[in-house]
Amino acid sequence: MTERSAQVTWQGSLMEGSGEIHEVPSGAFGPLQISWPSRAEEPAGKTSPEELIAAAHAACFAMALSNGLAEAGHAPERLETSATITFVPGTGITKAALSAVGTVPGLDEARFKDAAEQAKDGCPVSGALKGNVELTLDARLQS
Amino acid sequence: MPRIERHADVIWDGTNTRGSGRIDAGTGAFSGLEYSLPVRVGKGAEGKTSPEELLAAAHAGCFAMSLAGELRDDDARIHVTANVVMDEVSGKGHLVVESQLHVRARAQVDQGAFRRAVEAADEGCPFSQLIKAGARVSINAELEA
Repeated sequence: MTERSAQVTWQGSLMEGSGEIHEVPSGAFGPLQISWPSRAEEPAGKTSPEELIAAAHAACFAMALSNGLAEAGHAPERLETSATITFVPGTGITKAALSAVGTVPGLDEARFKDAAEQAKDGCPVSGALKGNVELTLDARLQS
Repeated sequence: MPRIERHADVIWDGTNTRGSGRIDAGTGAFSGLEYSLPVRVGKGAEGKTSPEELLAAAHAGCFAMSLAGELRDDDARIHVTANVVMDEVSGKGHLVVESQLHVRARAQVDQGAFRRAVEAADEGCPFSQLIKAGARVSINAELEA
């Protein structure tokens, strides 16, 4: 079992207040400032819960895909992944769109797409989200 | 209703067990965050993050904002710690199984109104709703004098 934590302090109302994500226990990032206007309108260089979910998802997906490819005997040289999270205020998070561009010696496009599809469904972050969100994938080999 | 999109990019080099990745935020708020499998499933730290640490930051931020929206108090002070738990589930591999929230708040409300605000914040926080598809959300909340 693995546990990871993070802390946030918020001051004031939702619309006019602001918050800080403290430096995380690993020391990898933070402090980061958050606010409603930067979450729901122009970010102006500030992160948001949706961006952090995107970062977690893209990272989890890349790791799962590298694992799947290696287990199939086609360890990747490089994978470039991204995740885009769509948030509709009042409705919720409606979509997580994953993409992958792979540099994988000796693998054809169809098998890469299959591996990416499995990673999309199997990575732990997808497991926590799927069912409540539209999950899409666009995967191709580096040309 | 506006649709808001936020994205992040990752470059992963090498295999799952021996490779490593770097994470960039679309807004530029953070970039070049390193992560790897040994750090993700081990004790952590070494200055490297993990998907679960990023989810913890997302959930703490999301819940704090939702609670601020419920309390409607310009002088409120809300402190949220999120603890995201990943475990190996028989037949399913590693899964995010729980996010534990510890909330401490100072606001001009009584205990009953505070409890209702916490429940409404859980229902209103998009991340809480999202991960309930596959994981538990537990909340321990305390109103400070």
